[in-house]
Amino acid sequence: MAQITMIEAITMAHAWELEHDPSVVLLGEDIGINGGVFRATAGLQQRFGSERVQDTPLAEGMIAGMCVGMAAQGLKPVAEIQFMGFIYPAIDQIVNHMSRMRNRTRGRMSCPVVIRTPHGGGIRSPEHHSESVEALFAHIPGIRVVCPSTPARAYGLLLAAIRDPDPVLFLEPVRIYRYAKQEVANDGKALPLDVCFLLREGTDVTIVTWGAMTVETLKAATQLAAEGISAEVIDLATISPIDSEAILESVARTGRLVIVHEAARNCGVGAEIAAIVAEQGLYDLQAPIQRVTGYDTVMPYFKLEHDYLPSVARIVDAVHATFVD
Amino acid sequence: MTTFPLPDLGEGLPDAEIVTWHVKEGDAVKVDQLMVSVETAKAIVEVPSPYEGIITKLHAAAGDVVGTGEPLVDFQLTGASAASAAPTAVQVESHAPQSGTVVGMMPVTGEIIEEHSLLRRTRHAVGDQVRAVPAARALARRLNVDLAQVSGSGKDGVITLDDVLAAAPLESPRRKVASAVEATVLGNRRHDDGAELLHGPRRAMAQSMSRSRDEIATCTVFDDADVHAWPEGTDITVRLIRSIAAAVKEEPGLNARFDPSGPSRILFDHIHLAVAVDSPEGLIVPVIRDIDKKSGAELRASVDHLRKSVRERSVAPEEMRGYTFTLSNFGTLAGRYATPLVVPPAVAILGTGRLQRDVVPTETGIEAHRRIPLSLTFDHRCITGGEACRFLAALIRDLGKSA
Repeated sequence: MAQITMIEAITMAHAWELEHDPSVVLLGEDIGINGGVFRATAGLQQRFGSERVQDTPLAEGMIAGMCVGMAAQGLKPVAEIQFMGFIYPAIDQIVNHMSRMRNRTRGRMSCPVVIRTPHGGGIRSPEHHSESVEALFAHIPGIRVVCPSTPARAYGLLLAAIRDPDPVLFLEPVRIYRYAKQEVANDGKALPLDVCFLLREGTDVTIVTWGAMTVETLKAATQLAAEGISAEVIDLATISPIDSEAILESVARTGRLVIVHEAARNCGVGAEIAAIVAEQGLYDLQAPIQRVTGYDTVMPYFKLEHDYLPSVARIVDAVHATFVD
Repeated sequence: MTTFPLPDLGEGLPDAEIVTWHVKEGDAVKVDQLMVSVETAKAIVEVPSPYEGIITKLHAAAGDVVGTGEPLVDFQLTGASAASAAPTAVQVESHAPQSGTVVGMMPVTGEIIEEHSLLRRTRHAVGDQVRAVPAARALARRLNVDLAQVSGSGKDGVITLDDVLAAAPLESPRRKVASAVEATVLGNRRHDDGAELLHGPRRAMAQSMSRSRDEIATCTVFDDADVHAWPEGTDITVRLIRSIAAAVKEEPGLNARFDPSGPSRILFDHIHLAVAVDSPEGLIVPVIRDIDKKSGAELRASVDHLRKSVRERSVAPEEMRGYTFTLSNFGTLAGRYATPLVVPPAVAILGTGRLQRDVVPTETGIEAHRRIPLSLTFDHRCITGGEACRFLAALIRDLGKSA
């Protein structure tokens, strides 16, 4: 079994599904000949041909619209939006058509589309290349929002997303595309959608996070363990719909909740999680819920981006705040 | 010697400009050590060393443009890099996309993730964690109550404010501070410590008197009404009620309701008189409607009905609402004067003491006259001293009439 990076795991999942499901079609800007801006589709056009792996013009609205049409005709399109900041022209197709096809046709048709896009910042990139606007899409009924945090989960969740009959926005945490390696079996086994993954068991505080922030959160948990605080770390994985049962169950045991995301705070997904726990788990809480997030401003450039992103220290501080009477 | 060419930095960019060298010829470098910053069409990209070794030649200087695939650095490999088969240019090319970046710098640690379990959520039985309403947690902290020792009486065993109060040590000084607030909030409760928790009229009195004390700018004026002209058998209560109606006609400002939030006041056309009645259960204050429209006989009937209702404990809540003025006739018991308290939103109350014979100097000498001591309390936020005294004067004048 090979030790591979997340980006390699994504390529591997694509290849598996192209090979095993003839209805799967990849499309996007520079994904064919070039192999993708981050090499997520490297070698796939050479292997599966330009009908299965299609280069498109620089027109995200058109890419999403083509996906709707392809899906309506029985294909399973998997589209790449080069950066999340480029997805905005596609929102009309995603919100007005993709997400509501099942509802509009009273369940007669679904829209089996996957939109993949890099998520988050921290790679010293220019504007529009560091977006983490998952909350925009989590608000939309009818589309799943999924975000893996390891190579193995990227592989398993991408397979699940492609096989799901409904649209999935698949967010790939760009900062950890090549950050670490993991043994991933190329066995075509999907992981379940709509459930959290427990990354670390603990008894004193529940920390919920997703995507690249799992790295800092797990480091914070290690640091907290050294001072005697046992943190449970949950990878949300499916951002919408939220696996509230798992979070509530954990909070019922730990009595404390910290939510970590790099997206801006205002109306972020963290607010929704906090609301769920306030509504259904308030009596289990021993302290107010804490959020560690980006700031309510545009993700800054290069020099300041690590001041924007939640740090290990900020996460540890937030956990400490839940222990202050 | 091994040559490292400028890697494909992505998107098929043809070349890049050298911005800064971070190493120089002769330097020993390790794998992944930062070697050079180059600028592509999109961003500054940092290129790490793919090898461990000694740098023998830099093929370009800062400011030079180097084509993708052109020689960049020559190495004399050492350590692990030398031990492995010397990489060829082809192998270098295949390495490039691994660490290569397109926009910005992609962190690469080479760290191996070892997740022992790709767990979905696991189900645990919820253990002995304390479930408590948040206010109960806060109160428990204030009262030094250990929630783990408290059994919850709420839904599914949730600890409530009551549970915390019940568990609080009575002698705790903090408890006393808290209890005044909580007692009014929490309603009837029984403690095991022997203290009687007040309810019904006594509890209502505690609340309304606290409210009066907290809200009203109290001022009381005292005087006596000479009722010597009254024939034998005059109904004192009925005369008092009649005179109140007469005084209100002269000074309507005391038959009113005051709202401090405005501030605003309403002067009423009707006079609904609340009459304080003592009972074993506590103070009960039923209301006689429209006293100015009732004859003496009707007033007597109303007073009798009201006393009977109190005795039988059959005063309906609506019979205690809507009063515009209050009479407290304590004179049948003892006491001449008092400082009765006005219950908001009303603005005045008359207290009447025991009717007795006083020595009164008259123009012709010393006489003993029957007099009723009067104590008029008014809310000075709403009523001027002049209004109050004119009211009292009108009252005394009317009481002084023989019939």
